[in-house]
Amino acid sequence: MTTSAKPHAIEVKDLVVSNGDVTAVRGVSFTIPQGGRMGLVGESGSGKSMTALALMGLLPMGWSTHGSILHDGVDLVTQSDKALSSRRGRTLSMVFQDPLSSLNPVRRVGDQISSVIRRHTGADRKTAEAQTIELIKQMNLPRPEQLVRAYPHEISGGQRQRIMIAMALACYPQLIIADEPTTALDVTVQKQVLRLLNGAVRDRGSALLMITHDLPIIAAMCDTVAVMYAGRIVEIGPVQEVFRNPRHHYTRGLLDSQPTMDNIALDGSSRLVSIPGMVPPLHSLPTGCAFNPRCPAATDKCRETMPELGTDGISAACWHPIHLAGEVAAQ
Amino acid sequence: MNTTTAPTIAPRRRRRLELNASLVVGVVLTIGFLVIAIVSFFWLPSNPNIPNIKNRMLPPGTVDHWLGTDGLGRDIIAQLMVGARTSILVGAGGATISLILGTVAGLVAAAYGKIADETISRGADIMLSIPGMVTALVLAATMGSGALTTIFALTAFFTPSFTRVIRSAAMSVLQEDFITSAKLYGRGKLFILARHVIPNIAGVMIVQFTLYFAAGILTEAGLSYLGVGVTRPSISWGMMLNEAQQTVGISSPLAMWPGLAIVIVVLGLNLLGDGLRDVLDPKLKRRS
Amino acid sequence: MSAVTPFPTDARPLLEVRQLSQVYSLNRQKLFAPRPKLKVLDSIDFSVRPGEAVGLVGESGSGKTTLTRMLTGVERPGEGQVLYDGADVWTGGEAHRKLFRRSVQVVLQNPRSSLDPRMRVGTSLLEPLRSLKIEGDHAARVLEVLDQVGLDKNALERFPHEFSGGQLQRIAIARALMPGPKVLIADEPVSALDVSIQAQVLNLLKDLVRDLGLSLVFIAHDLSVVAYTTSKVYVMSSGKIVEVGKPLDLFRTPQAEATQALVGAVLSVEAGLAGNALA
Repeated sequence: MTTSAKPHAIEVKDLVVSNGDVTAVRGVSFTIPQGGRMGLVGESGSGKSMTALALMGLLPMGWSTHGSILHDGVDLVTQSDKALSSRRGRTLSMVFQDPLSSLNPVRRVGDQISSVIRRHTGADRKTAEAQTIELIKQMNLPRPEQLVRAYPHEISGGQRQRIMIAMALACYPQLIIADEPTTALDVTVQKQVLRLLNGAVRDRGSALLMITHDLPIIAAMCDTVAVMYAGRIVEIGPVQEVFRNPRHHYTRGLLDSQPTMDNIALDGSSRLVSIPGMVPPLHSLPTGCAFNPRCPAATDKCRETMPELGTDGISAACWHPIHLAGEVAAQ
Repeated sequence: MNTTTAPTIAPRRRRRLELNASLVVGVVLTIGFLVIAIVSFFWLPSNPNIPNIKNRMLPPGTVDHWLGTDGLGRDIIAQLMVGARTSILVGAGGATISLILGTVAGLVAAAYGKIADETISRGADIMLSIPGMVTALVLAATMGSGALTTIFALTAFFTPSFTRVIRSAAMSVLQEDFITSAKLYGRGKLFILARHVIPNIAGVMIVQFTLYFAAGILTEAGLSYLGVGVTRPSISWGMMLNEAQQTVGISSPLAMWPGLAIVIVVLGLNLLGDGLRDVLDPKLKRRS
Repeated sequence: MSAVTPFPTDARPLLEVRQLSQVYSLNRQKLFAPRPKLKVLDSIDFSVRPGEAVGLVGESGSGKTTLTRMLTGVERPGEGQVLYDGADVWTGGEAHRKLFRRSVQVVLQNPRSSLDPRMRVGTSLLEPLRSLKIEGDHAARVLEVLDQVGLDKNALERFPHEFSGGQLQRIAIARALMPGPKVLIADEPVSALDVSIQAQVLNLLKDLVRDLGLSLVFIAHDLSVVAYTTSKVYVMSSGKIVEVGKPLDLFRTPQAEATQALVGAVLSVEAGLAGNALA
């Protein structure tokens, strides 16, 4: 794999993130090829955000990473803080959920973008400023010359998030991690920002890791998807396959609990299919498959032994995966 | 693969024990300090106020005077014990009165509209802009020195800061949705303050109290050192420092003992305050 | 809109606002300049009939938060009336105001903030009965309501931080049900919850409306969630009601620009898989 001409944008193997007290990510592996797009879906406590922070080397104090994260020919887990910091914004960058708290409130937005460019490319002030204005134009933002002089609080939430995207894309990174980039935005702005991110990532040939709890966003933006539950990937595969024919009962449940046009059409008496119970807290996970207390197909085997991805040649970590129509059930 | 990718969960609770180390040390030091002060009411090695020229300037380690005596032959341990009493009286007295006044003023500012808030907040700003030591010196000069004056000075000094802290803590509680709910059920301001706000800021109040208790002890020692705090027959660690100055050329430990006492007690109270902050913060608790 | 009214008109509205307007004064731009005025609500008419589930959607800044404050009686309108059972809430006398407080209950967005962290759940549940001075067997009422929202009675002795977000939202709904309301106002009740929990809470609200004959006002920014829970939707934009209709009609043939924007903003898995979600 390492000898192939086109290395992966990122290759994560057996990633474990813990703080000695609880383990938020319990052995996660995935690869994103150059220019590929993966979605990481999960609920609160699934470990999806901790995975992203581990990739960026931005874990909160007291948390540590084990396993390997191969990116740009190095293992990020073994890199020093200084080496990681010189990568952030250059080969690897991130768009956060809340653009207001991720921008410096006392610096003009233009200066914040151009300082990223100057730091990583060594360009002089003039060139960096020209590039900044060019970037802002690409973000479909109005009056770029005035906008660069604005402070973050003077512009709208959607504009701020576009500025964040511009900053993340400024140095043509190999991988962009977007953690719930539109959750804090108004619904009508969400789509525009997604469209912009979509186009900008494509134009630069960057790979994208989209982290969200929102399945429709993954369906719109990504070509593969990994579903996380209680710190592990429970199902992974091409979006078209996983979302059309989910194998894991959790994925099925998530898809069913989305209100859509179809179940609205059934009108007043219709009910959403919901997953019973609640997400288990990290410090008291059930034995065996973490999803077993909420799973309709759980058996004693599920309560005793934790299933791994790839059982039965299916990319779902489940002892009793949902079989496709026409497939012969294994048991 | 089955075994390597499934790490066992590491032993828990380590982080919480670390957090509580400061609490444990703080509690031990503070309780020791309180016990010494209480014992002083029932038993003292000798009278700390009666000079005994025969025994003057005894070195530490002397039988019956384990920490020695001062320039007038008074036992150091006895003086330190009575000094602890003064520190508690003045420090806790000042902190308690300012806590009460500050809580009332802070709650009124937070809950009773813009005019009350502006009046109280600007009043606090003005009081804070006057240096505390100067206030205390003026008070001592006009009212005469003594424990009561010192408490009064501390109250004037601490109440505005308390008011600010309580006001901002109360304001953040008042923004919560459960306050809106209580209002919708027709609950009045007094009920909301008593049943919802005060229980939620109690942690802040306790922590601030320990910190101002410590600050009060320091300030009292400072005033007594300058000769405007307590006077004999009361004894203060600051006063002991002042007196030790006259004999510092002959015996330096004399100045060391009250200094050490102040450092240990203030450290203990600050550790207690920090430890309590970690334990009482509901956000930290929620994560455990 | 269409000539045929899609909902019954015979029943008298239970909760209603008429010609409601509200103007806020902003901070002065210059020292002696007059304060600029912002019209947050502009001649709003809005009503809920007994047993009806009504939705209120709009972007942030559309005025739906202010309208919610009026409907719940938190804020007094500058112009117009808020009527409960035909009588004005603000001028109808103390007895009527008490009836209004008891009959119209609210569930807010963030369940962590809507329950006092220092109060046991049992105490929080009794709060409405105690403050509204409602007589009766309180203990029996608590058990009845816990059963309605699907919680166990050992929840009563515990504190809010011991529960997950979904359970807390059930507790908040239970508290709202305690005084036996006629109208439940739910302000973004699922947007702070996990996806798998949202469906549980939406189903619960739907069941309550059906089983208890409650009227529901459901406020949200997500049209598909509102459409699932309600039978009539009001769309707000810039302080005005710009469209009213059945959810399905709004979805299929949105008339007002704001409605079109909201419908256009709805993302679905199907559209995403078909590759035209962002078109």
